[in-house]
Amino acid sequence: MQFIQLALNGLALGAAYALIALGFVLVLNATRAVNFAQGDLVVTGGFIGAALASQLPLPGYALLPVVMLAMAGVGFCVSALAYWPIRSRPPVAVFTTTIAVGIILQNGLNGVFGPEPRSAPPLFTGSNLDIYGLAVSRQSLAIIAAAAFLIAGQLFLTNYAQLGRAMRATAQDRDMAAAIGIPVARMIAFTFAVSAALGGAAGLLLANQFFVTPTDGTNLIIKAYIAVVIGGWGRIGGALAGAMLIALFETIISAWMDYTVATGLLYVAVLGILLVRPSGLFGEVEGRRA
Amino acid sequence: MIAWLSRGINLPLALAAAALLLWSVSAGDSYSLRLLTTAGVFATAVLGYQFIFGHAGALSLAQGTFFGLGAYVTGITGSQLGWGFETTFLLSIALPMIVAAVVAMPVLRLESHYFALATLGIGQVVLLIAINWTSFTGGANGIAGVPGVGIFGFDVLRGWPLLVLVWSIAILASLLSWTAMRGTTGRAFALMRSDTLAAMSCGIDIRRLRFQAFLLSAMFGGAAGALHVHTNRIISPDALEFHIMVAILVMTVVGGRTHIAGAFVGAVLLSHLAEWFRFLEHYYLLAYGVLLLLTVVAAPWGIVGTAEIARRRFFPETISPPPRPNQIPSAEEPLHGLNIRGLTKNFGGIRALDNVNIDVQPGEILGLIGPNGCGKTTLINVVNGLETADAGEIRWNDKLLNGNSPDALARSGITRTFQSTRLVEEDTALDNVAVGRWEGGKGPTIDTARGQAMTLLNALDVGNAAMTLVQSLTQGVRRRVEIARTLATIPSLLFLDEPAAGLSAEERETLVVAIRKFAKDGLTLVIVDHDIEFISKVSHRIVCLDRGQVIASGTAAEISQDPVAKSTYFNGTSNPKAGQSQDD
Repeated sequence: MQFIQLALNGLALGAAYALIALGFVLVLNATRAVNFAQGDLVVTGGFIGAALASQLPLPGYALLPVVMLAMAGVGFCVSALAYWPIRSRPPVAVFTTTIAVGIILQNGLNGVFGPEPRSAPPLFTGSNLDIYGLAVSRQSLAIIAAAAFLIAGQLFLTNYAQLGRAMRATAQDRDMAAAIGIPVARMIAFTFAVSAALGGAAGLLLANQFFVTPTDGTNLIIKAYIAVVIGGWGRIGGALAGAMLIALFETIISAWMDYTVATGLLYVAVLGILLVRPSGLFGEVEGRRA
Repeated sequence: MIAWLSRGINLPLALAAAALLLWSVSAGDSYSLRLLTTAGVFATAVLGYQFIFGHAGALSLAQGTFFGLGAYVTGITGSQLGWGFETTFLLSIALPMIVAAVVAMPVLRLESHYFALATLGIGQVVLLIAINWTSFTGGANGIAGVPGVGIFGFDVLRGWPLLVLVWSIAILASLLSWTAMRGTTGRAFALMRSDTLAAMSCGIDIRRLRFQAFLLSAMFGGAAGALHVHTNRIISPDALEFHIMVAILVMTVVGGRTHIAGAFVGAVLLSHLAEWFRFLEHYYLLAYGVLLLLTVVAAPWGIVGTAEIARRRFFPETISPPPRPNQIPSAEEPLHGLNIRGLTKNFGGIRALDNVNIDVQPGEILGLIGPNGCGKTTLINVVNGLETADAGEIRWNDKLLNGNSPDALARSGITRTFQSTRLVEEDTALDNVAVGRWEGGKGPTIDTARGQAMTLLNALDVGNAAMTLVQSLTQGVRRRVEIARTLATIPSLLFLDEPAAGLSAEERETLVVAIRKFAKDGLTLVIVDHDIEFISKVSHRIVCLDRGQVIASGTAAEISQDPVAKSTYFNGTSNPKAGQSQDD
């Protein structure tokens, strides 16, 4: 009984991590750059949700699209300020500018909202559901459903829609994409916007159960980063699986021992994985770029 | 003295240093002295961070952790055990270095982003330990009442004495950094950071250099942390938080990533900026973020680097004369040549090399021709260890080469040039060649290396470009600078990938003469080029490849008569160069 409860919590956390990791991989594949600000974008989404909820008595499901739209705007700014001007420099330069963006977001939030934890409204209000005698958290189920919906939408967009094809072409070979008339700059800005919107959605979902504080971003980016590394650098499916894996690991070990031990063990496990399987558990996407 | 001041940006730097000294003497209140002490502490941390982030070009996010570790070691041993500075300081340096060695193992061979993750992860682990191991570290509150510096019983008091101690250590650190980087080692780091393939072709062991840089960064970080805790007299998890890392990163970027002066400029400026921005309260770190973003986008070389560029542009110095050429040692002559047997390489379903057998005698020049995609470059890549063969043997001087890394091969005398030149753009041609004499740090001094580089540049008829920055050289000159660089490693077997591309007819003639002379002195060469005229003139023998197979072999005259070679390579036209592109 208790295990099922735990697994459900783990899945809900994993769903939110998956959204963060998905946004991280999208930008990675489009630009080959690590977006270190992804964690702080998540937190920003959570704070926007919390701030809106205190002004407008809207339920969570109505807030979700508003937060995502606002975050898409933020993502667009990130690409314009921190990526586009230095797009031809080595990846470590973009890494550094996104660290700068993270610092700006983190301390901006701290300045505006203060360091106290905030919470956003749940997606659906109401008590726990009773399924065969199991008290199932409504929010956990809603998080899983919302994340699944967003991820499916994203996968549909990249794999079947014309826009997604253009995005993939830009990711694979920018010069070739430009040569066949794809507006590369717009595609990259769009990728950043989508990635920030997914991160913002994750922030809203997490902010109800786990609260958000301005400094949470560092921890979240590490989780997304780990998910992508163990899933195989650049692999979307791998990143989603990796996110689920670390969330379950964290939830179960935390319940069994405590959160500190869980986090410590996670890092040790990652260093171990890098030592024996540097291309991740499912293998790296090879030969993406010459 | 005047000559020294007029060089580079020494004059403004000397003025800035004098102004800082005057200001600190005239200010003199305890608050300003403490601020300057903090600046010295951070300058030491930044000098360390420059090794890994600046020189090695790897994004480490552990510098704050090394700083915090050093602080905790001094904090705990100093306050709980009452040990003196002479012991605690050394321990504060040792522990971060041990942690760095352990963390670096799994990630050194991986790309930079794994390095960033691993270093970030270790920081979180250490922070968790510091907060939760309450009995040992004092938990979230830390430990107050850390004593000041006491060296062998002498107390170094706060204020001036501590300031002098901290700055002496910072200056010692910068001397260490200067000695480590001033010779060919500094050039080796520059090459590794700008192009790993080129670095390997010069025999540079990238893992080793990164490891050394990381250890040095840990050492300086730990030292800075120890000094920090003596300044603050309290140790808490705050010393391990990410904002310390952020501060060091911003100081390094703003000051200049590879300049010793940059470490001081960044540290002094940013420690004071933090105070001036105090009125912004929560927002002062936000200002750091904005500054970091602006610097990376608009002035990536930092204040000191930008000043150097400005000096070059607006007050160009008279170019110093090239050094006098120096005798360069010669390679040992091999008894046996190159023997390739049954070499096969597949890329997916494509067979790039198909059971290739080639022999090259010592001192022979072999020309390798064939249409685009025939496997010429793959052959060079496989022999030089960049790709692994699926089958077959490669022997040089009767020693099996298969399975060696490119840099190990280069160190044993087998190296190559590249189709597109891979040089350090912001270095002179001379220094680009001198790096070839590095020899893992065991090579000659930089002055001797430069003299030897001059000999090679002269031999290739580009001696007059020696003191010019590579970025302003023409393609033909760059190619020969690259050839000179590989020759500086004193190879016995050299592969040249399209050495004549971009050269004028006249330059090709002199290149033929130069290459012939090197072969006469015992160098064995394999040359790939599309210019059949050049290949015919330079080679003793020619091998023609097509679809991964050797289809013809013989002297230039024989090849030009060979019906198979004619139909595939010459394609019935009189001009073999028509329709050939630079890459294959």
